Amino acid sequence: MDTSDQEKIERRVFTSFFQGGIIEAFTGIFLLQLGFPALFSRSGFGDWQSALLTLPIALILLIAVFLVRKFVVVPRLGHVKFLPERRRRISKLIVVPTLTLIAGAIVGYIFTENASLRHVFVGQIPFIVIPIIVFGAAAYFLNMKRLYVYGAIVGLIFPLGKYLETVIVSRGTLPATILFTAFVFLGIAVVFLVSFLRKYHEPTV
Amino acid sequence: MNIDRLVHSPARLSILTYLSVVEEGDAVYLLNQTGLTWGNLSANVTRLQEAGYIEIVKEFKDKKPHTLLKLTDKGRKAFQGYQNKMKGLLNIESPSPGGM
Repeated sequence: MDTSDQEKIERRVFTSFFQGGIIEAFTGIFLLQLGFPALFSRSGFGDWQSALLTLPIALILLIAVFLVRKFVVVPRLGHVKFLPERRRRISKLIVVPTLTLIAGAIVGYIFTENASLRHVFVGQIPFIVIPIIVFGAAAYFLNMKRLYVYGAIVGLIFPLGKYLETVIVSRGTLPATILFTAFVFLGIAVVFLVSFLRKYHEPTV
Repeated sequence: MNIDRLVHSPARLSILTYLSVVEEGDAVYLLNQTGLTWGNLSANVTRLQEAGYIEIVKEFKDKKPHTLLKLTDKGRKAFQGYQNKMKGLLNIESPSPGGM
């Protein structure tokens, strides 16, 4: 067993702690946060009202995911403190999306406030670029290749919804496309959780 | 070649391998990763602890007793030494596919 074998074992151990559909649940919640505001704004609510209406839904789901993780998943997987190298990678993972979101907000503000630049800042671009960067960073720092695929799906869902909206000519097509994908991810998360619960039982000493 | 028999046992080698890739982990983690039974894990952990290869830290988590296991410096050195010896042994024992 050489260093690369140990790295593989460490990676396998680390990724095993993301069983139970947590990644898919977070992806689904991320998409719900895009889909519900789009749905509410098309139902006559303002941008802020739509965001405020979405917040409790996302919050309830996030709390549910946190509780399932704390009381169902972790007791079955055990507690581990990873090596400093892995902890550094996790802290880098937090920095990249945070900087991306801040940069996205600043660039968005500059472009939308400046009348001459407004036409350049096509509304869809942040919805494509930000998920790709966020999920790409997560895939790289967590060594999880499937996150690249999730990033591509999340990044493409907004332009796909817009395209379908122009083809079908219905104002509800964009939120429906996003929400459908969100519920698919949440469904996958539930399937993964059930399969996890069948595989792992809470240990009794 | 002098091989550390304490490390050489499959169960203990597995325990040391999975403890070497983390800073510390509990018994449930080791049970899941190694596939050992409680009894087998407990017996082998005791032997490794007696040899000073692993350290057992007992604490309370959410008012419940919680046992954490950690590889000591001595244990890490023994594990690395075992790896190097086995690598050397396998390099000598297995000739290259095209060679004699």
